[in-house]
Amino acid sequence: MSVVSRTVAAIPVRTSVATWQAITDLLAPANSAGRGRLEAVTNIAAVLITAEYTRQAPVVVIPTSGPRVRIRTAHGTDAAETQAGEIPLAVRPCAASGWTMSLPCGIDDIEEIRAALDRHPGIEVRDVTDGVTVDEPAEGPATEGWSIDYEEMERP
Amino acid sequence: MSTAVYVNTATYAATHVATNMLGSIRSIVKGSGLDPGRIRESWDILENGIATWLASRHLKAVTLEVYDPRTSADDLVGRFDFTIDYGYYPDGDGDLWLDPDTVAYAIRKNGAFPARCEYRIVADTAPGRPDVRGWATTTYRSTAGFTRHVVGTAIGGGSLGAGLAYYSRSGT
Repeated sequence: MSVVSRTVAAIPVRTSVATWQAITDLLAPANSAGRGRLEAVTNIAAVLITAEYTRQAPVVVIPTSGPRVRIRTAHGTDAAETQAGEIPLAVRPCAASGWTMSLPCGIDDIEEIRAALDRHPGIEVRDVTDGVTVDEPAEGPATEGWSIDYEEMERP
Repeated sequence: MSTAVYVNTATYAATHVATNMLGSIRSIVKGSGLDPGRIRESWDILENGIATWLASRHLKAVTLEVYDPRTSADDLVGRFDFTIDYGYYPDGDGDLWLDPDTVAYAIRKNGAFPARCEYRIVADTAPGRPDVRGWATTTYRSTAGFTRHVVGTAIGGGSLGAGLAYYSRSGT
């Protein structure tokens, strides 16, 4: 599966909540079916952003079709430099329902955050030191999607 | 343009201090054996208020007040203050920093609270502050019988500094 990566400026350019709102804007347009799920975890995500877990490891989004999306946050002086270079996604992967997400979290907070996410099916938390091993969506009917094969593009 | 640089530096400093002050309070809550759910569930309201009043320079202090709901007057059992100094670095170069060791020291010195204890976060503001959704006026619980211990400056940014102090019962 192809992967698209983005970095979003966090503290001090944005507060932790404003950073998650910027990530939400990146992933889902206003009034789209999937946006409410992102907004519902704003406070949980803001805690993770404040702790800078999203700097150490990405938020991973697996849409129902199209490339997987990884989003990191930039903090401190990196944040100011990052903001000017933020690039929207060609296709916003959480516009439709059915996507899943993995949030990075430190071991000291993971039990608390996992319990808080119990009410948010399809959004999971993983140890920030783990590799990204998010389950793929169950096989279903073929969908008309597209993706960018970056490995192919980088071949000489 | 120099004005724009100043505005950005001051805004960045306020955001840095606000968010990290809230993060530090959460560390104190968890490190003191209190339930972090309450602070997490109100994160957007708390951060918005603290950041707004820091940027407008109305914020004087942010306090974590710990109390025992089983006592008749919800008596204070502990308290942590982050006191804002707007002139901590009169010629601040814009450096943004957080000293988690200062916070960890205060947690260690204070010790844990009984699991039955609850807490709230109080912002002390100067007159004329802008209203922020979700905040209401209140008064502090009495600190009679407590001693205030100043730990040091825990967070800095631009000209701002946030000093940390905790309260313990006198004679303990």
